[in-house]
Amino acid sequence: MKNNIKNIAVLFISVGLITILSVSAFEYSKSKGKDIDQCLACHEDRDLFMESGDKKISVFVNPDLYKESVHGNAECTDCHLKYNPDEIPHSTDRKLANCSTCHDDLKGIENSVHAKTDCYDCHSKHNVRPAKELEKEGSKNCLSCHKKGDVAKFSSSIHGKKGVECSDCHQGGHSVKKISRGEVTNLCGKCHSESKMKFSNSIHQTLTKSGNMNTPICTDCHGAHKIINNKFSIESEGCLKCHLNEKLFPGDSKGSAKFVAEYKTSIHASINGSVEAAGCVDCHGNHMIQDPNNSNSSTSKYRLTETCAKCHKDVADKFLSSAHGKALRDKNVAAPTCVSCHNEHSIKSVSSEDNLSKLNQVELCLKCHEEGKLPHKNYKGEEELIRNYKQSYHYKALQEGKDNAATCSDCHGAHDMNKFDNPDSRVNKNHIANTCGQVNCHAKEFRDFEGSIHNTSLNSKPDSDAPTCTGCHGNHQIFQKDASNNRLANSKGLVQLCSDCHNSVELTSKYKLPVGRTESYLDSYHGLAVRGGSKVAADCGSCHGNHNIRASKDSLSSINKNNLAKTCGKCHPGAEQTFFLTKIHIVDELKDSPFVFWITLLYILLIAGTIGLMIWHNYMDIKKKIQEQE
Amino acid sequence: MTSIRSRKYLRMTLNERIQHFILLLSFIVLVITGFALKFPEALWVSGFRSLFGENAFEMRGDVHRVASVFLIGVSVYHLFYISFTKRGKEFIRDMWIRKSDYTLLKDTINYYRGKKEEKPKLGRFSYIEKLEYFAVYWGNFVMLITGVILWFENIFLPLISNVGMDIASAIHFYEAILASLSILFWHFYFVIYNPDVYPMNKAWITGYITRHQMETEHPLWLEEIEKDEMISDTENGKTDDNTEKADTVKKDEVKKDLSEDRNKKV
Repeated sequence: MKNNIKNIAVLFISVGLITILSVSAFEYSKSKGKDIDQCLACHEDRDLFMESGDKKISVFVNPDLYKESVHGNAECTDCHLKYNPDEIPHSTDRKLANCSTCHDDLKGIENSVHAKTDCYDCHSKHNVRPAKELEKEGSKNCLSCHKKGDVAKFSSSIHGKKGVECSDCHQGGHSVKKISRGEVTNLCGKCHSESKMKFSNSIHQTLTKSGNMNTPICTDCHGAHKIINNKFSIESEGCLKCHLNEKLFPGDSKGSAKFVAEYKTSIHASINGSVEAAGCVDCHGNHMIQDPNNSNSSTSKYRLTETCAKCHKDVADKFLSSAHGKALRDKNVAAPTCVSCHNEHSIKSVSSEDNLSKLNQVELCLKCHEEGKLPHKNYKGEEELIRNYKQSYHYKALQEGKDNAATCSDCHGAHDMNKFDNPDSRVNKNHIANTCGQVNCHAKEFRDFEGSIHNTSLNSKPDSDAPTCTGCHGNHQIFQKDASNNRLANSKGLVQLCSDCHNSVELTSKYKLPVGRTESYLDSYHGLAVRGGSKVAADCGSCHGNHNIRASKDSLSSINKNNLAKTCGKCHPGAEQTFFLTKIHIVDELKDSPFVFWITLLYILLIAGTIGLMIWHNYMDIKKKIQEQE
Repeated sequence: MTSIRSRKYLRMTLNERIQHFILLLSFIVLVITGFALKFPEALWVSGFRSLFGENAFEMRGDVHRVASVFLIGVSVYHLFYISFTKRGKEFIRDMWIRKSDYTLLKDTINYYRGKKEEKPKLGRFSYIEKLEYFAVYWGNFVMLITGVILWFENIFLPLISNVGMDIASAIHFYEAILASLSILFWHFYFVIYNPDVYPMNKAWITGYITRHQMETEHPLWLEEIEKDEMISDTENGKTDDNTEKADTVKKDEVKKDLSEDRNKKV
C-alpha cells in the first residue's frame, strides 16, 4: 500500500511537474510571441523615427531579417533591458544593448584593438550574424568600418586581389590586433620567406639590429595595405622619402641627402611624371640592399658593371673587354667603373651639357690621365703628354663650339677603349686611319690615304714602319693646318718629317726605298727656296701629294710620268706640256743628268783656271812692286 | 812741285761714273740676293731673314729681278753710249783689244819674271781692264740668257724641258761664281789692293786719278795727254778731257814740273 501511495505520489508529482513545465513553456512562448509582435507592430514601420536632440534616428527593425537571425527567438527586451513598451519613450535610460548579459564569454575581445568596439559593429544589430558567417565574409566586414586611409585600398592591392584576408596578418575573430614595427618583418616573412631572408642581410636590417630606429621595415617601402606588385609599389619615392631627409642624412658626402638628391637630375629619374628609367632598387637592389663599400653590394666597385649590365648589356660587355674593364677585372684600384665617368646619381645623357659633353669629357679623362705620357714617341721623337691634347686643334675647335671636333672618345672609343698595342684598339696602327677617317671626320682624307703606298704597306705587313695618320700628324697634339707650330704646315718641317724616314739608312735599306731623296731635293731650286724660307716653293707634298702618296710606277700617282707635267702645272701654269729628259731627283749627276754634270765640270775648270791665272798675275805684280820699292 | 804731284786726271766722266755706279750697285745686289738663294743657311742669309722678316725669301727674288733690270738697263745704255756719243766712241776705240795688248801682256809677264828690265808702258786701258771690260759683256750675256730662262720658267719649261732648266740654273750659278771671284781677285786687286792705288782708286767717285796712278798704271796715256796738251797749248785751247772740272793748275807750271819730273826719273 505504501508502495502504491509512493508510486501515485511520484506519478502526480511527475504529471504536475510536466503540466507546470508545459504550461509555463506555453505561457512563455505565448507571452514572447506576443512581446515581439507587439514591438514590431510599431517598429516594422520604415518611417518610424525617434528624436534625440536634433537628430532623427530610425528605429525601424526588419521583422524578416530579425526572425531569421540567430536571435530570432530572443525577446526584444532580452537585449533592450528595462524597456517598458507601454511608455514612450520606452526607457529613460537609453542604454545600448548589452550582449554580455547572455554572452558572458567574450573570447578575449576585451584585450583586442576592438575592446571598445560594439559587438553589433561586426555582428550587426537585429540581423545578428554568427562568427561562422563573419569568417566567411572575411575582409569585407572589416572594410565596412575601415574605409579611411590605406586600408580602404586593400581590396585593390595585390594581397586583396589574391585573397589574402585581414585576419592573415591581424588575426581574426575577437583577437584582432595591431601589428608593431618589430613584428612586421617576421609577419611578412611567413609568406615571403625568401625576401625576408634577403632583407635580414641588408644594411637596413643590420642597422635595425644595431639599434637604429630610423631604418625601414617592409611596410615603409611597400606600404601596409595598398601593396602593389612589382616596382611601382616601390618607386624611388619610397626610398627618397627617407634618403632625401637632410636630418637623417646630413652633409654632402657620399650617402648624404644632397648626394642622393642628384638622382632627381639624372636621366634615370622620372622626368615630367614619366616612368623612371631606373629607380633606386634597379641599381641598389631591393631587399638585400648593401652599403656600396661592402663587396657583396650590387653597387660595389667590382660588381657595379654587372649591375649596370642588367640594362646596358652591350655597353657593359664592351667595357669589360676594354683596357679599363681589364684593369677593373684585375682589381686595379685605379680602374674606373661606370660611375667614374657617368657619375653616381646624376647620370645624364651623353648629349646633354654634363660631364660627358665633348668638352667636359677631356677634363674627365684627364682627371686620371693628367700626368700620363703616350706609350710611344711622337713623330718628332719626343715623349708626348696626354694632356697636350689641350693644345691641339681638336680641342681648340671644341672650345670654339665646333661640336664635330674630336674629343677623347672619338678616337679611343668610349666603352671599347683599348691601348694602342691591342690589335683591336681603335688607335692601333692598323685601325687608326679608319678611326680618323670616320664619316663625320676625315673621310675624304681617309679615301685618299686608302690607296696610298703608305697604307698599302701597312695593310700588307702587320709590323710595317709606314706612317699612318699619326705618323705625320702626331697624336694628341694635332695642330691646325696653318698653325705656325704645325710641322706639316711649313715646307721645312714637312721635308724634315719625310726625311725622318726617307733619309734613314735603316728604313731605306729595310724597305728598299730610293735613296738620296732629301739631298737631291734640298739642292734643287725647290729645296733651296724652301731652305731660304719660301712659302710657295714646292715641298715633298706639292708633287707627291700628302695623303694620296703613290709610287711613281702607279698610274694614279701624281709623279707617274704621264701625270708629272700636270702636277708641275699646278704651280707652273703653262708648264703642263713640260717634258722630262731626266729624273727629278738627281742623285748621281753623271748618270742622271750628264749635261749638267759636264757643264758643271767645265765651269769649275774654267773658274779654277781663270781665277788661278788672276791670282798668279796679282802675285807677280805685287811681288815685283815690292821688289821695286826695296 | 807739289802742285804737279797733286794734279789729277779725269778718268771717268760723271756719265761714266753713274754707269759704273749703277753697274756696281746692281752687281752687288745681284751677287748678294743670288747667293742668298744658293746658301740659305749661311749666317749672313739668316741675318737677312731676321732683318726682313718672313717674306725675306720672296723679297730676295724680287730684288734680284729688279737689280737685273737695272743691270740690263745700264748695259743697254752703255751700248748706246759707245755707239752714239763722241766720248763713248773714243772709249770703245781705246778699249778695243788689239795685237799690241797681247805684246803688252807678254812683256809684262816677262817683266814680272825678271826677264825684262823695264815695265811695259800701258795706255788708257790696260790689257787687264780690257779683259775685265769684255768679260762683263760675256758675263752679262750669259747671265741674261740663263736668267731670263729661270725668270720665266713656266714658258721655258715646256720648251727646253727640265734638263734645260737644270743647265740654265747650273750655268747661272757657276757664271755668278766666276764673275764674283773675278771682281774680287782681279778688279779689286787693281783698284784697291794694288800698292800703286792703295787705299783706293777714287776715279769711280771723283772721276779723277792721281798723277802717281797715271804714271804707274797709264804712263802711255799720260804721255799722250801731255802731247795733246802741248799741242792744244800752242793753239791756246783746252783739252777735252780736262775741261769738265775746274782745272786750277796752270799749264806753264805743269809743263815745268813735267820736265823736271822726267829728268829726275831718268
